[in-house]
Amino acid sequence: MQPDEPFVTCPLCGQTHAAPFLKPGQRASCVRCGSLLAEAGHLGPQAPLVFACTGLVLAVPALLLPFVTLSKFGKERTVLLTDGFLGFWTHGFAPFGAAVLIAGTIAPFGLLGLLAALYVLGKRNPAPALLPRLRHWAHQVEYWAMPEVQILGVLVAFFKLGSVVNVTIGPGLYCYGGSSLFTLMAWRSFKLRPRERRPFRAAAVATS
Amino acid sequence: MNIWAPRASASTTQSAALAVAAVVMLVPAYTLPVMHLGILGQHSADTTIFSGVVQLWQQGLGGLAAIVFTASFLVPLLKLLGLAWLLLAANREKFRRRRPRLLTRIYGAVDFIGRWSMLDVFLVAFLCGAVQFGQLASVQPRPGVAAFGAVVLLTMLATHRFDPRLLWVDVPATPRTT
Repeated sequence: MQPDEPFVTCPLCGQTHAAPFLKPGQRASCVRCGSLLAEAGHLGPQAPLVFACTGLVLAVPALLLPFVTLSKFGKERTVLLTDGFLGFWTHGFAPFGAAVLIAGTIAPFGLLGLLAALYVLGKRNPAPALLPRLRHWAHQVEYWAMPEVQILGVLVAFFKLGSVVNVTIGPGLYCYGGSSLFTLMAWRSFKLRPRERRPFRAAAVATS
Repeated sequence: MNIWAPRASASTTQSAALAVAAVVMLVPAYTLPVMHLGILGQHSADTTIFSGVVQLWQQGLGGLAAIVFTASFLVPLLKLLGLAWLLLAANREKFRRRRPRLLTRIYGAVDFIGRWSMLDVFLVAFLCGAVQFGQLASVQPRPGVAAFGAVVLLTMLATHRFDPRLLWVDVPATPRTT
């Protein structure tokens, strides 16, 4: 891995390091606090773009195809990915509906878009301020993206629903699961610097 | 006398305020019902987080009950305990001097586990969106889920606002290194 910038500052302890050149499979840890600073994957430099694009492609059917189909007393109901948000919204819990929509849908798919944009723009030498800004946004969005938690919540719901209604898993859920997996893989393999924090005036913190 | 840099002070103050708000919201989150399940011909009932865990256990789904219990009870409590320790360490020199590495690991753990508490919010949201069969069967959210969602979001914001570099202010940085 060839570093973008000459120095890397650990976001957890503030230690500054010369940016390491990493071979595939190597990891760089902070000498002061031991946290992971950078990791070079085994799968080649284009793997993150492949993962991000695959995740984005799967996001479309995940949004449009039936997530699950429920039936009770001959009545059938097809549920889409965004129906969880609507379930809160229509019952007067709009802010929490929005939180579910952001954490389960907008943030994961937005992260995939940001990672793909970072990779493509990184090859084209854009304006110097653009890449750090996109990286910053990628870290912010990743913090609120929780597709894996949504999948676990839906799986627990299946078991709860088992005694109430008949449940059939739809293709949308498989696509969402695939997209979530590729989101995770793209994030893990992307050549990202650690989360940036604003300069910290540690010297001003003193006791006397 | 502590002389705090404005940013350091803002970080701990905001983090502490958010954590205290989360502690306050824990009470309605655990006592109020999170959803109402109504089925034709059966007893309809409000479900709290705890009674949901008990129902899973009674259905013979012990593993799932353990997952929901961990995500809904243990994780928020451990997060708040971890945050309290970190905030104490950031403000009291004697707490942080001896073990900044351990404290940094605790911060990493609190940061990592934070999102898993959203499990119950996603669960209720999915059920409310999916089970809408009119008179036959329906699930509706109740105020407890709003309180629990607030706990999760407030603890995540508190962790996000906390600056772990405060734990290292007494440990001199090594010269710039490779």
